[in-house]
Amino acid sequence: MKHTLLAAGGHTGYYQAYSVLGLVAVLGVLFVAASFAANRLLRPDVPGAEKYTVYECGVDPVGEGWAHTQIRYYVYAFLYVIFAVDAIYLFPWATVFAAPGFGATTLVEMFVFIGFLAVGLLYAWRTGVLRWI
Amino acid sequence: MSATAVAAPAVHSLWTTAAAAPIHAPKIEYAQLSPILVVLGAAVAGILVEAFVPRRARYGTQLAVTLIGLAGAFAAVVGLAATGYATTKADLAAMGSIAVDGPSLFLQGTLILVTAVGVLAIAERGLEPQSREVPHVDAFAPQAAAVPGSEDEKAAARAGWSTTEVFPLTLFALSGMLVFPAAGDLLTLFIGLEILSLPLYLMCALARRRRLLSQESAVKYFLLGAFASAFFLFGTALLYGYAGTLDLGGIAKVVTGDAAPNAALNASAHGDALLLIGGAMIVMGLLFKVGAVPFHAWTPDVYQGAPTPITGFMAAATKVAAFGALLRLLYVALPEMRWDWRPVMWGVAILTMALGAIVAVTQTDVKRMLAYSSIAHAGFLLTGVIAGNKQGVSAVLFYLAAYSFVTLGAFAVVTLVRDAGGEATHLSRWDGLGRRSPLVAVTFALFLLAFAGIPLTSGFSGKFAVFSAAAKGGAVPLVVVGVLCSAVAAFFYVRVIVRMFFAEPRADGPSVAVPSALTGTAIAVGAAATLVLGVFPQWAFDLADKASVFIR
Amino acid sequence: MNPVNYVYLAALLFTIGAAGVLIRRNAIVVFMCVELMLNACNLAFVTFARMHGGLDGQIVAFFTMVVAAAEVVVGLAIIVSVFRTRHSASVDDANLMKL
Repeated sequence: MKHTLLAAGGHTGYYQAYSVLGLVAVLGVLFVAASFAANRLLRPDVPGAEKYTVYECGVDPVGEGWAHTQIRYYVYAFLYVIFAVDAIYLFPWATVFAAPGFGATTLVEMFVFIGFLAVGLLYAWRTGVLRWI
Repeated sequence: MSATAVAAPAVHSLWTTAAAAPIHAPKIEYAQLSPILVVLGAAVAGILVEAFVPRRARYGTQLAVTLIGLAGAFAAVVGLAATGYATTKADLAAMGSIAVDGPSLFLQGTLILVTAVGVLAIAERGLEPQSREVPHVDAFAPQAAAVPGSEDEKAAARAGWSTTEVFPLTLFALSGMLVFPAAGDLLTLFIGLEILSLPLYLMCALARRRRLLSQESAVKYFLLGAFASAFFLFGTALLYGYAGTLDLGGIAKVVTGDAAPNAALNASAHGDALLLIGGAMIVMGLLFKVGAVPFHAWTPDVYQGAPTPITGFMAAATKVAAFGALLRLLYVALPEMRWDWRPVMWGVAILTMALGAIVAVTQTDVKRMLAYSSIAHAGFLLTGVIAGNKQGVSAVLFYLAAYSFVTLGAFAVVTLVRDAGGEATHLSRWDGLGRRSPLVAVTFALFLLAFAGIPLTSGFSGKFAVFSAAAKGGAVPLVVVGVLCSAVAAFFYVRVIVRMFFAEPRADGPSVAVPSALTGTAIAVGAAATLVLGVFPQWAFDLADKASVFIR
Repeated sequence: MNPVNYVYLAALLFTIGAAGVLIRRNAIVVFMCVELMLNACNLAFVTFARMHGGLDGQIVAFFTMVVAAAEVVVGLAIIVSVFRTRHSASVDDANLMKL
């Protein structure tokens, strides 16, 4: 099913296929350039200080762009994300582990997997990130 | 694809049929996966060491765990190769996820050795200025979480803390690198890519000196790397959509027409487009990792900002792993697409060689210069990939082994030349180094000559191998460009040598720190490998040749 | 509804994410755009899995989610440490190494 173009036109067809690609790229660049140029030529140009302010649902923004969050929250978020997301592997496993052919090996393998997660948690605990400062 | 689904008129009647089929218990060949498992086990042990061993004993324990793990993994690779898994018993292990064959084992062996040498340089603690309270200082931040220049950081430095997490991180990166060139399906390839990348992003941010630069390089590497791996993943999705399977061999079968692609999909979504776009996006992700133009922009910044021992490890090992994966993808999954990827790769290879060689000439920083040189070398390696024959595979394998040791050695030498501000990486500071410390200058000159591809060094053997393979594969113009670029590259390598030996030494020039046995061994191994592979390359060629057949 | 439409949606989301990475200046927004790209990949995988009648694509989606989570942790750790150093998360401010 592939290389019909090769069979059809030999080398010319081969290079033609690439020239189409090049043409599309050139057209793409031209399209963007033309639309931006048209935009530039057609739009009224009235700069003003107000236009540079941050737009926030039509209300004047309060405070800085950076809202400060307690840095300690993010460590918990990290731990939650990692351990919660890893738990999704338990679900497909739970649907099959009792099926014939799985048995004890599967059970042990899953506990090894949970063991890996536990090592991560142990490390986090020993490093002190689980303590609320 | 069941017959009823094909016969159904509308696509939306395709109810999942596989759910009814029984799911068979997986069969995992643990023995064949042992190199990867040993490295992962050592990494996990390293995490436990980090958690439970008192701070003072951590460095020694970590180093011991790491080196024992690497020795065990290398023994496992040699054992597998000796029992014939590289040749006659080559096989797909773990339900087709991991290919245990010649190229896998050769590259895994190379990667483990490279990491062992890299770890020696990483473990060096004798180069930074020391005090009586803190007798050992390594190249990494005393406390990575502390803000640079803050009181916390100063306190941590006074207490003699250091980031010993770097050892398990190295092992985790290595485990990803071991998986990467051995992956038998696209999902494993993606997982390998991520496992090797994520620890590297973190390790880049850990420099003790110039931490702003280091953190900046980590951000750049991370954002661009995540961007590239997203492209890789979307390419994977498209190829899966095209072929209905993630196995590299299965995709090749669909491409050749031995297995049918999804009829409904092809009718509605232009299967060929999925194949071409998907393949291009995956290759893009891999070319980012090898640092080929136009996906090279991260290389100089990251190489400059990362702590130098990490840069050496990363430059050597990532290239080995990523080229292994690129070879496997192009030779196992897409060999029948040769006529589509070869012209593109021609362009990429020419651009990479030319840009790497030409821009390197203008560099004034040793680490940036080595970064551009690594870009040029990625181009030379690509000529071997383009060759498209068995000789090309063995040439690339040999080149990777040769190049990685030269790179490790060169970056290890860079860690030695220091002044009050840390490493003196500006090239003008290297003036007259040959008069002050001839041994270091001669060693660095050896590595530069190997980069340039002068006969009797491993660089020459490697370049000769890839260029002759490419010429045999019908890419003669590419070889001509390659030789021209080598000449340009040789110019700036020789310029550095001239500076080191014939320029007047500066009065306030840097001093050369006396390394401990660790960095000393790393440099010696690098230099020995450079000479041995340059003077007696035949046995390594034979080894690479024997290991150059991919299992499908 | 024709499942191919979901592939188009995935491609669209992926493009929006890629455009965001290229034009946004805030490292965290750039990072969220990368996550959008990964989620677009997930959508494509699940759609293709449905079209092929296999389970492979759904399993890949699981793996992508976990990888994305790990990437969030590593990425945010790096970005937060830079932010604490410089009190800015603009990628334009990270310019010590421009030639």
